[in-house]
Amino acid sequence: MKSITTMALGAAFLIAAVSQGQADPAEGKAVFEAGGCGDCHYTEGPAREQTIEDQLSKKGPELWYAGSKFQEAWLAAWLVDPKPIRPLKYNSLKEDNPGDHPKLADADAAPVTEFLMSLTSDEVESGAVKPKKNPKGRQIFTKKMPCNGCHEYTGRKKKILGGRSGPSLVEAGVRLNPDWILAYLQKPTVFKPVKMMPVFVGLLSDKDMMNVARYVASFEPKE
Amino acid sequence: MRTLITTFASAALASCFVTAPVAAADTQQVFEFYCTQCHGPGGKGDGPNVTKDFPVSPRNFTNAEEMNKLSDADMKNVIMDGGPSASKSPMMPPWSKTLTEEQVDGLVKHLRVLCQCEGKQG
Ligand code: HEC
Ligand code: HEC
Ligand code: HEC
Repeated sequence: MKSITTMALGAAFLIAAVSQGQADPAEGKAVFEAGGCGDCHYTEGPAREQTIEDQLSKKGPELWYAGSKFQEAWLAAWLVDPKPIRPLKYNSLKEDNPGDHPKLADADAAPVTEFLMSLTSDEVESGAVKPKKNPKGRQIFTKKMPCNGCHEYTGRKKKILGGRSGPSLVEAGVRLNPDWILAYLQKPTVFKPVKMMPVFVGLLSDKDMMNVARYVASFEPKE
Repeated sequence: MRTLITTFASAALASCFVTAPVAAADTQQVFEFYCTQCHGPGGKGDGPNVTKDFPVSPRNFTNAEEMNKLSDADMKNVIMDGGPSASKSPMMPPWSKTLTEEQVDGLVKHLRVLCQCEGKQG
């Protein structure tokens, strides 16, 4: 069954590629599979994590919505030179991130980027979130809810502040699609049914979520 | 619905191992997954999120004196609705939309084991 789906998907990519006159995503998929990326990442939705055990048994983050989550330029650069995103080792609260993610050569990173960017979720409304530093968003991030208790961000004087259990948000403005940040907060069960982050639906209003999403999407890396 | 199925599944499991306190094992996992990131692996308030700039120390669950000031209902309330519901710091998140009531009841029992204390009665 799985191989049929894979074949069907492959065929779909080929058709898409031919009609667009570029073979990148299909080639990227082949590189992804040959490179063993699939040992640690799954690329077909919907979310498979139903229990804490499901989450803890994973060796890397799910990538089935990568095209909705990441900004393409960031992804292309990261695959060639992957710097730690999570301060701690994946699924560990004790060890630091060893920073040993497999690297791709330039020639492979381009098609793999195309492939990953083709994996989108229609649960993300595009163009909804305009990044902006806003005091309401900041207030939610640092006071109303403990977002900063679990996520690193850049504070005054370019100092890195915040907790270490969640992915660092220091570069969120160049790494993440602003629209996805909002969708992630609004639709927790779609993207990550089981995670260490609390569900905020019903606790933060739609307005609050929009403001905090705009705020997080405005985070720029410190130079 | 999903949590219902999980509950049924673990109930079914529980009836296979009548002697083992399966609920306690589940609670241990819930505690480790959600709480130790701030409260620390042994509940001493020293999880990996507690860096120099973390504004208030997460409660040390092994401190019987402090934990005795809280009734079970106080604890349940603060776990469900977060620090501000008990005039405490918002750095303690609300878990009402993440955990089921049964899971929170389990956590309250678990914290009593960690503090070796009965808590405020009534
Ligand atoms: C041994 C397991 C493993 C393999 C093999 C692996 N990865 Fe990863 N990958 C990880 C882990 C763990 C992370 C989280 C890294 C971090 O947070 O710094 C990650 C993160 C990523 C991310 C960012 C995802 C996110 O949500 O932050 C992408 C994209 C990615 N990997 C692509 C790839 C590609 C492409 C390959 C094949 C060349 C690959 N990975 C091979 C374990 C793996
Ligand atoms: C108790 C800790 C905790 C709190 C509080 C918390 N988060 Fe998270 N957050 C996490 C963890 C852990 C993840 C990673 C989940 C996973 O992929 O397994 C995460 C993931 C995220 C992501 C996706 C990042 C990525 O690269 O995958 C965003 C965006 C985010 N959180 C924003 C927020 C916002 C905004 C708030 C406050 C309203 C918040 N978080 C509060 C722990 C937390
Ligand atoms: C983001 C970090 C964080 C996470 C995650 C967290 N806590 Fe807390 N918790 C705190 C902080 C900080 C305090 C202290 C608040 C204060 O004293 O103002 C606290 C206090 C408490 C208290 C004492 C409240 C009081 O009235 O004195 C209890 C009980 C508690 N937490 C239970 C839990 C449980 C159970 C979990 C897991 C479901 C959990 N916490 C997860 C940060 C956290």
